[in-house]
Amino acid sequence: MDIQAYISSGILEAYLAGELNEQEMKEVDRIASQYNEVRLELDSLRESLLKFAEAESKSPNSEILEGALESIQEIEKEKFFKVLDDEPEVKIQRVNIVPVWSIAASILLFISLGFNYIFYSQFKNTKDQLAALESDQTSLANRVSQTDQQLQYAQLRIAHFLSEDNVHIRMEGLDLSPESFANVFWNTKSNAVFISVDNLPEPPHGHQYQLWAIKPGLAPIDAGIFDHNQLVQELKVIKGNVEAFAVTLEKEGGSPIATVDKTFVKGFLKKS
Amino acid sequence: MSLSVQQLTMTSSVESKISHLLAERNKEAIQLVFTHYGPLLLNVINRVLRDEVMSEDVLQSVLLKIWQNGHNFDGSKGSLFTWLVRVSKNAAIDKTRTKDYRLSQESKNGVEVVSIAESVSSGDEMETLYAKQLIAQLPEDLKTLIKMSFFEGYTHKEICEKLGIPLGTVKTRIRTAIKHLRSII
Repeated sequence: MDIQAYISSGILEAYLAGELNEQEMKEVDRIASQYNEVRLELDSLRESLLKFAEAESKSPNSEILEGALESIQEIEKEKFFKVLDDEPEVKIQRVNIVPVWSIAASILLFISLGFNYIFYSQFKNTKDQLAALESDQTSLANRVSQTDQQLQYAQLRIAHFLSEDNVHIRMEGLDLSPESFANVFWNTKSNAVFISVDNLPEPPHGHQYQLWAIKPGLAPIDAGIFDHNQLVQELKVIKGNVEAFAVTLEKEGGSPIATVDKTFVKGFLKKS
Repeated sequence: MSLSVQQLTMTSSVESKISHLLAERNKEAIQLVFTHYGPLLLNVINRVLRDEVMSEDVLQSVLLKIWQNGHNFDGSKGSLFTWLVRVSKNAAIDKTRTKDYRLSQESKNGVEVVSIAESVSSGDEMETLYAKQLIAQLPEDLKTLIKMSFFEGYTHKEICEKLGIPLGTVKTRIRTAIKHLRSII
């Protein structure tokens, strides 16, 4: 290759002027790398042109360089912040693949459901227990009230037994109900009659017990009907010479005439 | 001659230095590109755009691109200058596709002549008095040729049309002009 002829052809000037296409430029590069002389010529031409540009104020405005460097600085800054910002983005992407929050929410939901079940069971148990307790309490209250009543009767009976003004008559069971018995207290001052229902069978439906005072030679005198369930009851006032007391079973509301064959218990006054 | 060899060695080392700095994404690379190739690259861009202001804008964006893509430059596929010219040309061509460029073209005619006239008569702001004096020795017609071909973006064909001289003569005269320039610097 005739290097001098190549250099003289003006192709190197065309190269530096940007006159050549890329293919042609690469060809010049290839020859320049192969022939030192060509490379030196090329570099020398460039230096001359730069000097000319400098002297002729053909160099580009230095503001172009400053502007470019500023932009580079901005880009670097943005990149720096982007790197900082990228962290949460990566996390968000991870969330898209494996929804951590939804897993957490599911776990919490299950825990919540579990607790709900436990608490509901406990609540239901407690409610049942409360109902049972309430029922217990009610029955206990009933029993207490019953016992209270029984105690009152017992106290009342004892009071009647102990009262010096009272005459006490024990009525024993007859053929109809040999096991039965009841007591009558008759106040000698007020003539008030009290009955203590001790052991009488449950009266049949629509029937009631009635107490009778028996005076010698007279038909039995009505001393009052009484409630089988109440232990001690004040009945009628009976005056005069009473020989005995008896209890008959009568129709509900009582009877003016004693049904003698339905006499359950009968007791005589002790002769003092 | 020994001076010019020293100079050339320096230039070559500058080219490899730029390559290294680009690979390291060092901003100093851009500074060196601007100093050592700026005028020639601006010429390449202006050759396409025919608008000095717009060309300077594009050069600025080219410097950015060089910095952003410099690590991709492969010295085995051509010289740094060839790569820089390609990037500049592409950027200029991209610019011609913008609305911005089309609008500026519509309201522009004859500015080129004015631009040449201004360029020819400029020279008041020379930084190096010595260089100015030396270059002043260059005949005006040769100076005009160097400016048009290397710094004002005219193709050889355009120069031959503008100045009314044959293409072959344009090439020979440019060669002569540079030869003359080198002899006086």
